[in-house]
Amino acid sequence: MSAQTTTADKTPAADKRRGKGEPGSGELKEDRRRGRMGYWLILPGFVFLLLFFVLPVFSLLATSLYTKPPGADIGQFVPALEFNNYVRMLGSYWPELLRSFAFALIATVATLLIGYPMAYLIAVRLRNHALLRGILLVLIIAPFFTSFILRTQAWKQILADEGPVVSVLRAVALLPDDGRLTATAFAVVCGLTYNFLPFMALPIYANLERLDLRLIEAGNDLYASGFTTFRTVTLPLSMPGVIAGTLLTFIPAAGDYINSSLLGNNRDTTMIGQVVDSRFFRVVDYPGASALSFVLMLAILALVFIYVRRFGTKELL
Amino acid sequence: MTQAPLQTEKAGAVGDESGADLVLASITKRFGEFVAVEDLDLTIPAGEFFALLGPSGCGKTTTLRMVAGLEQPTSGTISIGGKDISRSGAHQRPVNTVFQNYALFPHMSVLDNVSFGLRRRKVRDARAQAEAALELVELSHLAARRPAQLSGGQQQRVALARAIVNHPAVLLLDEPLGALDMKLRRQMQVELKKIQTEVGLTFVHVTHDQEEAMTMADTVAVMNAGKVEQMGAPRELYELPRTVFVANFLGKSNLVAGEIVEDRGDAVVVNANGNRLAVLKERATVHQGQTLIGIRPEKLRMMWPQDAPADAANVLHGTVLDTSFTGVSTDYLVEVPGIGTVGVFSQNHGQQLAQPGDGVVLSWDTEHAFGLDGAEDAQYGAPEADE
Repeated sequence: MSAQTTTADKTPAADKRRGKGEPGSGELKEDRRRGRMGYWLILPGFVFLLLFFVLPVFSLLATSLYTKPPGADIGQFVPALEFNNYVRMLGSYWPELLRSFAFALIATVATLLIGYPMAYLIAVRLRNHALLRGILLVLIIAPFFTSFILRTQAWKQILADEGPVVSVLRAVALLPDDGRLTATAFAVVCGLTYNFLPFMALPIYANLERLDLRLIEAGNDLYASGFTTFRTVTLPLSMPGVIAGTLLTFIPAAGDYINSSLLGNNRDTTMIGQVVDSRFFRVVDYPGASALSFVLMLAILALVFIYVRRFGTKELL
Repeated sequence: MTQAPLQTEKAGAVGDESGADLVLASITKRFGEFVAVEDLDLTIPAGEFFALLGPSGCGKTTTLRMVAGLEQPTSGTISIGGKDISRSGAHQRPVNTVFQNYALFPHMSVLDNVSFGLRRRKVRDARAQAEAALELVELSHLAARRPAQLSGGQQQRVALARAIVNHPAVLLLDEPLGALDMKLRRQMQVELKKIQTEVGLTFVHVTHDQEEAMTMADTVAVMNAGKVEQMGAPRELYELPRTVFVANFLGKSNLVAGEIVEDRGDAVVVNANGNRLAVLKERATVHQGQTLIGIRPEKLRMMWPQDAPADAANVLHGTVLDTSFTGVSTDYLVEVPGIGTVGVFSQNHGQQLAQPGDGVVLSWDTEHAFGLDGAEDAQYGAPEADE
């Protein structure tokens, strides 16, 4: 079967590759022109990111090192290399920083546990039910049509002392008679989970929607039960969606301050975003707020890097 | 039956069932109002290369999927070696499938793909067995690659190895060669047949390609509209089709309508618009009334009018309409007044070729003709003109 081996290199893709490699062909010139066209098209996005992301990051870094000269007015700082800002901020606010990551992590796991089955139901189980699929997808996106603040505020009502959740939990003795849910860490995590659920469900949906269902059949055919097929075929293939979803949830959740402000108690539920907010707008400590923001950014980058290295696919790194 | 080099002492629980007959008993499958398979009875003996042949939508793939457990029959039972498997899940059946588009797991290496089934059944030397299976399909050197890095033909063989490595009682092949180009397809036909003989498994092969079915299968079942029209060895089906559909779908047939006018004991004589045609009774499904006399194009002898036999039976006079010379042979279309257009396949013996407009005489031996029910549409099952 040596003839077979040669066939391997005769795939259309291989032919194409070879064709493109031929020097001096007219096709090549055309390709180059089109390639240059591509660069022009990405230029606006490049300029935009440079102006509104890269430059501000440097500005943030500079501000985080500013110092307040003696006798200066409120909000008056001068450029310096005051690394003590970082020591000062980390020394005071490391519990909030850790709490932010803990809350974000719990919320991410919760959105994954809720969002994956939702996405699976719509993308796989209902693949041939276009109408039902459309309705459920709209339902996932629908909350975006109301204000983020209002939706978060609504959780106060849901978890209120007189509300249905607390009464039920008290009735079944899961909560003591004087137990509350408002202004607790639980409420904050609930808010985070609820608000970021679509960011988890949608990328997973987009991934599972492309899943070839014959692969599931092949798994079943090869002695894998429904669950084993899910574990060995469906889940590994949907990892790019899971990674995208967890990043889209974890990163903003870690820096979120709305949920902890509205649903927390300002004592043991404070998240780092809230601290940045108050350092910036109330205490008017611009260098402190900048230093905290920078620390948050670096910490998230480090965590994401480790995470993607560990679980990621080639597409992401 | 040749024993498999693969079929070692560790074939496992599933392997023990290879060598068991597959029996489908009054299987019906409905999708809403549509009846995909209707009251199908089929027995496929162990070790056989069995082909389900039919046009798309005839129910052959549905039948295959029901055997695999990927589809539940509406009624009826499926059993292997006398054991009813109708209610067991796909993962519990001693059956493996080579899917139409292979359905290889894209996130696994070729070796992991092939050992997948073995690992699920916790076979101890899964890796070694998978390697042996890759050896069988001559792809050992590509074990570490991903499926996407292989050509279509190589993927096809990985899919085959992934299925046969489990020594299923029945191996199902769903149009496995459909995605390959013609040349590779012919090569794979020979190879599949060779592998089937080597491993000795029961192969159930679904295809719409009649040549593919006839080349490879021991037994062919021609399916149409959810039913088996006729079943038998390829030669038997070709030489003696029992329905118009089989006559037209399996090769080409000239079908001439006429009325049975005389019973000669072992044969009947048919009057087709003034022409007397004879057909053996054992080769005819009807012995009186309207009938269709069938004769394959290559069984016809074409002669110049002066060479025509004096015997008046089985002789048609006509005019050549069209010729197409292929080298090995020439295909003629001959217009016979009162009967229609008749196709003739004439092998190249170096004889003088007839030209359009030439008057010719067609004749054949009575034992080559077959008789079908005259109530059927003579075009039923014939390929569309654009195919």
